[in-house]
Amino acid sequence: MSPAKAQILLIPLVLLIHLGARAQATFTDVTRESGINHVFEVYEGTFGGGATVFDINNDGLEDIFITGGMAQDALYLNQGNGIFRDIYEESGLTPSKGFVTQGAVSADVNRDGYRDLFITTINTSAGDQEIPRAENLLFLNNQGDLSFTDVTAEYGLKDLNSFSTGASFGDVNADGYPDLFVGNYFKNFEGQLGIIKDATIVSAHQTAEAYLLINKDGRSFKNATTDYGINHKGFGFGGVFTDFDNDGDQDLMVNQDFGYKAVPNILYENCYPGKSFMDVSGETAMDLKINAMGAAVGDIDNNGLLDYYFTNIKFNMLMVNHGRGKPFTDEAKERGTHSFTISWGANFGDFDLDGDLDLFVANGDLNPNCVPMGNFYFENNNGYFTEKGRMAGINDYGIGRGSVVFDMDNDGDLDMLVVNQKPLLNYPVESVSRLFRNDTPGGNWLKVALKGTQAEPNGIGSRVTVVSGGERMIRETDGGSSSHLSQNSVIAHFGLGKNTTVDTVIVNWTGGKEQRIINPEVNSLLTITENPDEKGNSVFIVALLCGVLALLGIVYFFKRKQPATSR
Amino acid sequence: MKVLIQNRAFFWSLVLLGCNLGCTGPRDKQMSEAEAAIAWSHMANHITRNTPANSPTFASRAFGYIGLCMYESVVNGYPDYRSMAGQLNGLAELPLPRSGQAYSWVLAMNAAQASIMKSIYQQTSDENILQIDSLERSIHEHFSDTLNLEVANRSVAYGRELAAAVYEWSKTDGGHRGYLKNFDKKKVHPDRPGCWKPPLYAQSFSHHPLHPDWGGNRTFVKNNRELPPPAMIPYDTVPGSPYYQQFLQVYEKEKTLTQKEKEAALWWGDDPDVTFTPPGHSYYLATLAVESKQPALIEIAETYAKTGMAVADAFIKCWEWKYHYFTERPNTYITQFIDPEWESFWPDPPFPSFPSGHAIQAAAAATILEDTFGDRFTFTDRAHEGRERDELRDTDFAIRSFNSFWEAALETADSRFYGGIHTQHDNQTGLTEGVKIARNILELQWKNP
Repeated sequence: MSPAKAQILLIPLVLLIHLGARAQATFTDVTRESGINHVFEVYEGTFGGGATVFDINNDGLEDIFITGGMAQDALYLNQGNGIFRDIYEESGLTPSKGFVTQGAVSADVNRDGYRDLFITTINTSAGDQEIPRAENLLFLNNQGDLSFTDVTAEYGLKDLNSFSTGASFGDVNADGYPDLFVGNYFKNFEGQLGIIKDATIVSAHQTAEAYLLINKDGRSFKNATTDYGINHKGFGFGGVFTDFDNDGDQDLMVNQDFGYKAVPNILYENCYPGKSFMDVSGETAMDLKINAMGAAVGDIDNNGLLDYYFTNIKFNMLMVNHGRGKPFTDEAKERGTHSFTISWGANFGDFDLDGDLDLFVANGDLNPNCVPMGNFYFENNNGYFTEKGRMAGINDYGIGRGSVVFDMDNDGDLDMLVVNQKPLLNYPVESVSRLFRNDTPGGNWLKVALKGTQAEPNGIGSRVTVVSGGERMIRETDGGSSSHLSQNSVIAHFGLGKNTTVDTVIVNWTGGKEQRIINPEVNSLLTITENPDEKGNSVFIVALLCGVLALLGIVYFFKRKQPATSR
Repeated sequence: MKVLIQNRAFFWSLVLLGCNLGCTGPRDKQMSEAEAAIAWSHMANHITRNTPANSPTFASRAFGYIGLCMYESVVNGYPDYRSMAGQLNGLAELPLPRSGQAYSWVLAMNAAQASIMKSIYQQTSDENILQIDSLERSIHEHFSDTLNLEVANRSVAYGRELAAAVYEWSKTDGGHRGYLKNFDKKKVHPDRPGCWKPPLYAQSFSHHPLHPDWGGNRTFVKNNRELPPPAMIPYDTVPGSPYYQQFLQVYEKEKTLTQKEKEAALWWGDDPDVTFTPPGHSYYLATLAVESKQPALIEIAETYAKTGMAVADAFIKCWEWKYHYFTERPNTYITQFIDPEWESFWPDPPFPSFPSGHAIQAAAAATILEDTFGDRFTFTDRAHEGRERDELRDTDFAIRSFNSFWEAALETADSRFYGGIHTQHDNQTGLTEGVKIARNILELQWKNP
């Protein structure tokens, strides 16, 4: 064979290798070697569990808390080198042993610079209650010494006797203290149950009210659900705080099971600075009548509008945002994310670092009658998706529930943890929680961590926009109840593909302030601290605007009155 | 005239049901004994609809005892009629009125209805208990106004004693407080091909089937216990096989549903979470008949007793056979062998398919009602009139008119086929067996020879 001929044959081969390297994320199951040894045990068929990603000692390595349901919860300290150590027993979190836990979420509740932990529960683990209900648990981080203190009672959460699922932190009133939304599945009870009559038992499986708990200066929570106009009931799976209409405040997207029969999903628009939410489910067509198990938030086509993926039984929905005043449309089928399964967790992330958001979906059947269903990995190509779970090595057949993305090894790509349930009956494959390391070969990246000085300290409620190579990519800081009962890393992650520069990073802090960083270094973690001076300015501007508006109002009032009297 | 009477009965139901709101009801209005009995049937449906965690199985049982109790509380006032004591399964005797003493049978019926409802539905809300008390008080005041106090008290005492005896007997049938064990999470079910699988498009959050042991409950009539299981088509996945064809029919029907068929599917849904359940619908049809014919108190009580017990036995037998065969729903088979993306028009209930519970109980009720009122009876079913349109299915709750009870039973059965949750074989078997079950009720000695 002549050298020329060999070259011609080699070209397509090289091209193939190159394309493959560019387009395909490859995951490696590192569960065993990482030291993660976890499975969620159900109390009742379908419920639980979830995980939250948080750096408990601010060492730059993100740690994980995973709920165990009937089994023990786990707090995995990331020790670097891909090794995790379960420090639950010595962490001060052991009061959670008394409960059947479900989901977990984290934020800096008291603004001391350390991530605190909120765990939802459905019952006490003693199992001696006629009606399964329990309080949810709040633990304060003891300033990074790897331990926590149970402050459930001090923070006023003890009497909220609920069957809770997903919780999320968000700053609904933009005061810098993270508030909580808690989804409840079955009817709540206030305080301890006294004498239980048959009537109490039969009413226990009715739909529940949710909780909106307002953080009072980091010292307690106040139940302000109805004060804020949140009056729905439903078989709730929690809600995601997200700014769907790009007006700078946190709206609330509520997921509900059995929407076709009980109460559908609800989208609440935040009326900030007014202290209320308005139900806009109808006009936005977000009143989905499905078994909404979870949701992922992401702008799938980088058009500046956040789209939402809802997991469901049978067919998931991809609700595409067409801008303010226009209803969302389900484009799951045409965009390729429509597959028959039972889905729970879902996460948008640029796993292959090519500048668009791919989608991971955790699938799992309903205990006790379980058929294995592999997880999905939908690769994004110009807003259209192709399922490549098997090729990506992430189509595990465990009984999937919550899933979280984070960069476990700080190598710039997104790794994945999936919480799996223990099968109650015979099951053909092993079902344990899985850690997948992303070994994607290519692409530049940028990670952005926010340090709020007035906004929530991790930037929960704030938004990051990256402008690079003519693309604008937006990320919201995940406050939880995304995926299913879980919370992703709060560090915003951007794949840049072949771009080696970023023009601008824009931060829209909760409350309306904007901050820009020009030309940051790529392939690195950029930490942006909120500029504290601007708060005064913005207050001044708001005051000035109010003054001008008032003046205009007076002028308008008189102008209208004149012709009326002269007629 | 018929219309006028119907309106009057309806008027009383409204007044009496509304009394807990503070009104005392107009004194000048005359209430007939028939209206008092009918008011109680409305109350039975009201409680059935508004008690959480209710099920068609438990509701059917409740109507059985409530109907029987109405009959037994008045039967001794009518020498032509016979008590069910000594005729029903394990019911040796019931309290008798004191001979030679005067009774007001409508007052006894009134006290007995209140008492049995509060016992059988002891899980209902305090608000509903108040409504029962309020109705009892209104009817009592109405009929005791001009009555000797001693007679009134004696009648009430007898009614309560009788209800207590019926309730005691009910406790041993296997369904007592059955709402506490709707779903047995421990029970292991068969897992052969063709077996029932928890639904994905479901009416209930439970992944365990409803009342798996209900079929072992005591039937009201011994002969119903003896009825053998009807034949089921053998499982097959080969296209063209009888089993396959059953599901193919469901699949093809769903693609060509007319608006009328969708309305039928919706109308007969009778979801226990929001309505009076299918047994309540049958009790309602009995009420339409007695409202129209206004027969004597004993005949009304006989109608409710027969209908209630026939429907209750139909559910016991149906559940026995459902768990005997433990068969799958179309949503399981069709998605596996015909079209993976298929979904039924109506969500699946949480229990096996064969035979259809809707069909069997509708046939049982229709057989009773035709025996009493004839096979030509024109009526309009307004049970769900005014309910909010089903936006998801783009279908209204449209009232329905029928020329016979059997016509209504056929539509009840067909509606499950339209809903995509039963095969025609499930329905036809349900209809056939329902008739047999009702005939065993009719064969009891209701009158003295």
